[in-house]
Amino acid sequence: MPAVQETIDQVRQIDVDQYKYGFETKIEMDKAPKGLNEDIIRLISSKKNEPEWMLEWRLQAYRRWLTMEEPSWARVRYPKIDFNDIHYYAAPKSMSGPKSLDEVDPELLKVYEKLGIPLREQEILAGVEKSKIAVDAVFDSVSVVTTFKEELKKAGVIFMSISEAMREHPDLVRKYLGTVVPQSDNFYATLNSAVFTDGSFVYVPKGVRCPMELSTYFRINEKNTGQFERTLIIADEGAYVSYLEGCTAPQRDENQLHAAVVELIALDDAEIKYSTVQNWYPGDKHGKGGVYNFVTKRGDCRGKNSKISWTQVETGSAITWKYPSCILRGDGSRGEFYSIAVSNGHQQVDSGTKMIHLGKNTSSRIISKGIAAGVSDNTYRGQVSAHRKAENARNFTQCDSLLIGDKCGAHTVPYIEAKNSTAQFEHEATTSKISEDQLFYCLQRGIPEEAAIALIVNGFVKEVIQELPMEFAVEAQKLIGISLEGSVG
Amino acid sequence: MNMQQAIKMTAAETALVDAYGAQIGDLPGDGAVLSLRDTLVHELRTAGLPTRRIESWHYTDLRTLLRDVPAADPSAFADRVEAIVPGSSVLSVRNGQADLKSVPEGIKARSYTDSLVDGSAAAGLAILGADDAIGRINGGLVRGGLEIAIAEGAEFAAPIEIQVVQSHGQAHTRFPVSFGAGSKATVIERHVSTSAEASFVSTVSDVTLGEGADVIWIVVQQQGPADTHLGQIRFDLAKDAKLHIFVINAGGKLVRQELHGRASGEGADLTLRGINLLGGESHTDVTFTLTHAVPHTTSSEIIRNVIFDRARGVFQGKILVAKDAQKTDAKMACNTLLLSDEADMSAKPELEIFADDVQCGHGATVADIDHTQLFYMLARGIPEKKARAMLVNAFVAEIVEELEDDEALVEALEGVISAWLEKHA
Repeated sequence: MPAVQETIDQVRQIDVDQYKYGFETKIEMDKAPKGLNEDIIRLISSKKNEPEWMLEWRLQAYRRWLTMEEPSWARVRYPKIDFNDIHYYAAPKSMSGPKSLDEVDPELLKVYEKLGIPLREQEILAGVEKSKIAVDAVFDSVSVVTTFKEELKKAGVIFMSISEAMREHPDLVRKYLGTVVPQSDNFYATLNSAVFTDGSFVYVPKGVRCPMELSTYFRINEKNTGQFERTLIIADEGAYVSYLEGCTAPQRDENQLHAAVVELIALDDAEIKYSTVQNWYPGDKHGKGGVYNFVTKRGDCRGKNSKISWTQVETGSAITWKYPSCILRGDGSRGEFYSIAVSNGHQQVDSGTKMIHLGKNTSSRIISKGIAAGVSDNTYRGQVSAHRKAENARNFTQCDSLLIGDKCGAHTVPYIEAKNSTAQFEHEATTSKISEDQLFYCLQRGIPEEAAIALIVNGFVKEVIQELPMEFAVEAQKLIGISLEGSVG
Repeated sequence: MNMQQAIKMTAAETALVDAYGAQIGDLPGDGAVLSLRDTLVHELRTAGLPTRRIESWHYTDLRTLLRDVPAADPSAFADRVEAIVPGSSVLSVRNGQADLKSVPEGIKARSYTDSLVDGSAAAGLAILGADDAIGRINGGLVRGGLEIAIAEGAEFAAPIEIQVVQSHGQAHTRFPVSFGAGSKATVIERHVSTSAEASFVSTVSDVTLGEGADVIWIVVQQQGPADTHLGQIRFDLAKDAKLHIFVINAGGKLVRQELHGRASGEGADLTLRGINLLGGESHTDVTFTLTHAVPHTTSSEIIRNVIFDRARGVFQGKILVAKDAQKTDAKMACNTLLLSDEADMSAKPELEIFADDVQCGHGATVADIDHTQLFYMLARGIPEKKARAMLVNAFVAEIVEELEDDEALVEALEGVISAWLEKHA
């Protein structure tokens, strides 16, 4: 069925021309010269005061990267990226590493105020309705400030920028870095391994339930810079953590590159919940500018009965190339993926997930909703596989897409691979998610059809929205506010 | 990507190129056909057989899976066998030579060899899909087949059976078949092997339906346990044409059955039903693409796979809805019973959609026999082996029954299925 008017209006509201976070901040920056070579990597490493092994690791990745080819299998088209025309390091001059809030340049704080990101602990505490969220604010290549560090420390939780962690907890970083997304994983992940500048590090010790939501807010500001952050989250036995990620960038005519790597590790009985509201600048309505978002996100359910859940709301970026995945290694582990991807204007989205069932009695669930409008292309690409020994692997996948207008495209490319007869895989992408029964029920009670559809569909989107932590759910709902009637499978 | 540098040829690639070399003076064709053959074989030689790096061959790495190719042997062809549905008109191809003894009224049939010789086949041979290894192998080596034209408005009391029977060696056939406007027919394309010796078969059917034609096209593939079968069906549907394709794969060691089609006229309707029975160490791949090119077309696909032993099943299905092809209604399902822990199944049901007012959906399931169903039967005193056989049979028989208008046909197809299940289950 065609999209209802309400949906069309709501999508228009989040059209590319309505990008609210496109302002630019003039801050004196300390930049590495453009280009990529071993000297730049040495420079990044020394700026970060990194240990020697880290520099070696980066150089190894860089040499590997030189031999790799840019992948071309995704359904995205873009002009060739000149990797030597990018600044790989840019930090506000006033920053030489994260400090206490009082020392941070007020200009920078204003940026976050404008973005609505609470950084002042007192203010957050004073606020009545707002619950506590610890924030790591990353501005171009550096972490500006991390809030609530002390309080988290009391609970034993380590939450800091990854460069800081490398200095303060080198053993932990060394033990886990690159164990989920190896250096040689793919073109962009390898590039990231060589040049990543900052990102967040989280370690939740045994049996600890992290007392508050953790969050990182990424902002690309400087012209011609790439942002390469690396996030590493470890939940030790029986631990629980919920982590949120947000991102924005100024409106610029040229494209900016963002190639992040996120690694999650859940040990026995641990649970990690990772939520993203991705709102990078998508380019203008003629397809000019916007962020190229090439991200490798992967979670490793390493322990028994561990659980990793990805929730993403994707509205930004000119190009999204992103497949948050779960390796279900531990027996009884569980992976979840909930996604809403909205594309408009000239945006191109190729996103999805991988659920790799290796252990026994593992289960996974994929719920993906794609909405394409304008002249955009929206692709779901997902893989579900059961290894020979993955007894009783169970997967349920549902992916629906909706097209608004006749110039956009929606595509579904699922790969289903079962090597075990006890595996039970179900993949469905049904035509209309609105059951006739439900619709009839509403109509019979005098609710007009359009309102009935909106009602049912809103309840349906909640499946994904409700997976988000409350604070984010509100933001996401505002961002999307779309009724999905799932007209295309 | 341009990968023209010479590759190291595998034994199978060498055998195919050599087969061409050995027959070069003997293969039928005029100048245009012969030079086309040369190009196709040259492309095969330089690019090699497709590997898993080529997306459409991802699960069937032909270069690795095709270990050897038996030599061509003109004496390998067997006599025609009994028609699968009694009373059918049988047209057969033997060692490239068409047997046109029983051509029913309303059909114009001629040997495809003649079309190669007079060059009229050149245009069809030149049509290749993307990464079309089957089109290349077949185009290079094809010796014969049948060119069939069904008259406008023709109707037939009995099915038309196209038979390719052989005991070993190679067979490369082509069947351009056009159905006139308003015609109505059932065609059975049958590939049978009479011995356990290895044979290598490539076959391309090019099926075009005129306005309002109503056709049932059945493929019964009963190759031997050591055989390689590379089949391709291309189809094009004009306005209001209705095509029901039914494929049964009940044989072969390495099977790739491609179906590529296009709904070109409004009101066109395609139904695809596939039953793949896999056992032993066989590998069966069904790859399907359909383009809904104009508004108001419909399609429905159901593939059922039953996989025993160490067999590997593959289904790739892609429905493409072109821009402006509004009101398309397309449904695709692939259901698999995986009956052994050493078996495996890979499915990739794709949708590629550029129109907004459409109804498209797909579903895929992979599972073992439902234990509650099995328990129900065991509780009623049915022995486990029998209960399993009944459930497997029910799983596939369901879609055969859709052909209920032709009882003899349903019976014949059920016979193929139960014969296979008796042997393997």
